[in-house]
Amino acid sequence: MVSLTVSLVAFFALIAWRFVFARLQGNPMAREIVDPRLRGNNLLDRVGLAVILSDRFEHGAQGVDLFEREDRAKACLRRIVALTGAVQIGNNYVLEIGTTRFHVRDSHVRRLQSMSGPKCEHEETCFCLPYTRVPTAEQIATALLALANNPALFDRWAAQIGAVKADGDVFARAQGVASQ
Amino acid sequence: MNARIVTFSPHGDTTLLEYDPASADMDEVNKVIAEYEAKTGAQPFDMTTGERIKKVTRQQNEVLMVHPIAGG
Repeated sequence: MVSLTVSLVAFFALIAWRFVFARLQGNPMAREIVDPRLRGNNLLDRVGLAVILSDRFEHGAQGVDLFEREDRAKACLRRIVALTGAVQIGNNYVLEIGTTRFHVRDSHVRRLQSMSGPKCEHEETCFCLPYTRVPTAEQIATALLALANNPALFDRWAAQIGAVKADGDVFARAQGVASQ
Repeated sequence: MNARIVTFSPHGDTTLLEYDPASADMDEVNKVIAEYEAKTGAQPFDMTTGERIKKVTRQQNEVLMVHPIAGG
């Protein structure tokens, strides 16, 4: 009889503990502890909107399939190509601005000037995004978008003066200061 | 529909900021963008027109932060 009573008490204690544990997991305070990044994000308070931190994606990258990343990058490139009016020819993306034609491909861009004239000059330079690692498709998309808005950027890249922002200013990340 | 500030990342496009353009404090949105530019050198482009913009307004639903490029 005593052992039966002890067993029943233990059984009900376990059931009670299970309910308490379940309530703790559903408690908003518990959720906040689980995700402390959101608690420390003062942008949420400042802007009053949903802010998605980039580090979430950095951590989440491990769960993103390589092929999915490539697909997303290619989708971005297709969108930029349509937006800038560029045309894909083989591995090159051809962008025409006035009498100048740019051929953009993996890490290289070629400029042909005076296409209609008797002397068609061409120059070539390499390019890269020094401060962020992005898929090749997005590097090309970045170059197309930048050139479509500011064709003179080609000369800045060819001059090898370091990282250049879309407006043509040099960007020095170490100091976080932009200079002309 | 929410507006988004996106950028390219190793994973394709990444959303940096998502907000309701009708109610968001646009000064704060632009402040966040300015801070991001100061840190990374990336500048905002309107993804509807493909043009670089100096200030984001409620009319822009998607803005791409374009990172600096170095030549070689």
